[in-house]
Amino acid sequence: MRIPLREQTWNISILGLVVGLTLWRGNQLPVFGSYEIKTILLGIIPIALLAMGQSLIIIGGGINLAIGAEAILINCITARFSEGTSFSTSLKWALIGILIAALIGAATGWVISKSGIADIVVTLATSFVLIGLALFVQPGPGGGVNLEFAQAFSGKGDSFVAPLLVLFLPILFIWLPLQRSRIGISLYAIGSSKDAAFLSGVNVARARILLYTFGGVFAGICGVSLTAITQAASPFAVISNTATLNSVAAAVLGGVSLAGGVGGLFGPALASLVLYYIPTIMLGYGIDPAYSQIIQGALTILVVLVGGLLRSRGK
Amino acid sequence: MDNLLEIRELAKNYGSVIALKSANFSVSPGEIHALMGANGAGKSTLVKILTGVIPSNSGSIKVNGSLVQFTSPDNARKNGVAPVFQDPALIPDLSLRRNLKLTNTDISKFQEKIVEFGLKISLDEQVSRIELPLLRMIDLARALAHDPKLLILDEITAALPANLADIVIRVMNKEKLKGNSVIFISHRLSEIGEICDRVTVLRDGIDVDTFKTEDGDENRIVSAMLGSKISQSLTESRESNLANESLIQLKSIQDNKKLHNVTFRINKGEVLGVVALEGQGQDSLFEILAGERRVSSGEIIFKGSKVQFFHPNDAIRLGITYVPGDRKSALMPQRSIRENLALTKFPRILRWGWINQKNEDLMVDKAVEILEIDTRASSQVKRLSGGNQQKVTIGRWITTGFDLLLCFDPTRGIDVGTKNQIYQLLSSLSAEGKSILLFTSELREIELVCDRVIVLYGGKIVAEYDATNCTEELLLNAAHGRVE
Repeated sequence: MRIPLREQTWNISILGLVVGLTLWRGNQLPVFGSYEIKTILLGIIPIALLAMGQSLIIIGGGINLAIGAEAILINCITARFSEGTSFSTSLKWALIGILIAALIGAATGWVISKSGIADIVVTLATSFVLIGLALFVQPGPGGGVNLEFAQAFSGKGDSFVAPLLVLFLPILFIWLPLQRSRIGISLYAIGSSKDAAFLSGVNVARARILLYTFGGVFAGICGVSLTAITQAASPFAVISNTATLNSVAAAVLGGVSLAGGVGGLFGPALASLVLYYIPTIMLGYGIDPAYSQIIQGALTILVVLVGGLLRSRGK
Repeated sequence: MDNLLEIRELAKNYGSVIALKSANFSVSPGEIHALMGANGAGKSTLVKILTGVIPSNSGSIKVNGSLVQFTSPDNARKNGVAPVFQDPALIPDLSLRRNLKLTNTDISKFQEKIVEFGLKISLDEQVSRIELPLLRMIDLARALAHDPKLLILDEITAALPANLADIVIRVMNKEKLKGNSVIFISHRLSEIGEICDRVTVLRDGIDVDTFKTEDGDENRIVSAMLGSKISQSLTESRESNLANESLIQLKSIQDNKKLHNVTFRINKGEVLGVVALEGQGQDSLFEILAGERRVSSGEIIFKGSKVQFFHPNDAIRLGITYVPGDRKSALMPQRSIRENLALTKFPRILRWGWINQKNEDLMVDKAVEILEIDTRASSQVKRLSGGNQQKVTIGRWITTGFDLLLCFDPTRGIDVGTKNQIYQLLSSLSAEGKSILLFTSELREIELVCDRVIVLYGGKIVAEYDATNCTEELLLNAAHGRVE
């Protein structure tokens, strides 16, 4: 399958931005080796996974404002029940967590497609419910996980192989097969034009439920990765809200059109690196992190603007 | 012989609005059956039920003698019923290849059909970049690739230039020879007699007449469609009202590769027709005059002075209004008729920042009355039939006032009755001294509505005729670049 030219140009532009920022960051650090790469990867894994889940949903014409809350809930569940357990119990809870996230996604999608209520309303309400549940499971910061399990995610010592796999395996085993299947095409189809999709024989309601289910799977993996990386859980709405908004920002930066039907998951994964670098680099200069928010916002607008121009020229 | 399709007393209502009252209809194998009806007669509803888009309230559908109920378009396709809808059912953001995969279409069969049509298409092309006429052919090829027993063509020829329409007709005849059947819906009466075996006419949700095409002519169809309404003579020629004063002159207009050295003028009160096959530069010409597109070189002289447009508003302010071919792009579908009609008038109604409701009401009522718009579904324009939507797009300009109206294929996909109303509207506007530039894909309209006609071919004006004495044959030849 050929990736559309527009998506290629976008990915290349974002890749260029990422390379530039990496060089800049590398320049700031006294050494730039395996350990530094690992730090960066661990810093972006949660947001990259969340951005991929959000992008998938946006491509399908929806938006999930509860995706951060889904991740935090799974974080709380896995951290609570994996504390002081064996590797296999931790793994079992990780899988249960991802399954729960998928079910929450499916339920959200079902409510949206059956009720006809706007995605934004349903998912906003869901986010309150999920954060409430998270507080119920894990009333304050705490929890833990089997150390070997944590290392399976974050790597032993300086090795960055494990975090790299955590980042790429979902793309390899979920996104690539999905994109080539009829299900994947129908997700693009409902995002692009629901009417035309229906006339083409797509079961729109089922496709939307699947859409939110896949989004939930990514949120679930994100929650598990949070548990493994931080070896704890923090059930705070502030974290989940910021994560949700960042996932939307990364999706948009990564070339996903908010109108639906356009984009992929590579771009948003790369874009989450950009979102990670900006505050880190500014912090490296000792600049107030508040400024990095301004830069991040301005950059998002700039990139979307340039992307829009590229697209209109390409047509 | 047993009927392939048999419909008995099919009915559908949306709340209190009855879309289909009691339709009876049958198609035998190897038959091309025309389904006719004015806008709102229930054709679209019938097609939607037949293709599984919507369920019926009562009545029965039999395919090959057994009772069926289609639950989705996919389901209908699997039962051998393949539709080509009025709006192309292809996903704009996906490539053609992925669209075919979505509908489980055999790609090699599809390509066979495209080759048979004599067309060339790259499968990796994104659908949103393909032009509408080609999309309809693709839709047709896709439907054929499923080897349907019954092909439903809803207004397929409406947006097609003559050469592509010929291909469609060839395809239909070929299907017929294979023993397959076609339901053909068209507003072009002349096509019906030539192509179809039988005609069924719907009126107000009921089948009012079914006959073999050799037993009746266009007049029988029209009178069945219009019912008690007095049918206006279609060939009544207009009285021309020409002042010899030019309103607008175009001098050597050049637009990159689309228009070459286009020069013409329109006089006050004149209706100038434009005839062209698809993609001969007519889109650019209209967009330039509407201020949506800039020229590469050349000049436009309006009321004696040179003008330049940077924005549609510049053209509107001078009194040039544009009624685009795509009704959807001109209307706000979710809003009421009232708001749609009043939209273009806001600069005038605005007083001290508030909308003068009384003033607006008067204007809107006047427009509704002049245009005879059916206001039953007035709360949302998207619920109006195509013909009534078109009337709203024209009507919004009437009370605003204008000097030049640019009409791009205003009667596409509209029934005979509404067409006549639009012709009369255009005639009365020109009698008032307004000038009109009219592009039409129906050559018959030139003689009916226009004073003069220019023919575009390859971005150049290849011919200009007096509209009263030019035949459709002459125009068609010129449109293909055949000018002696």
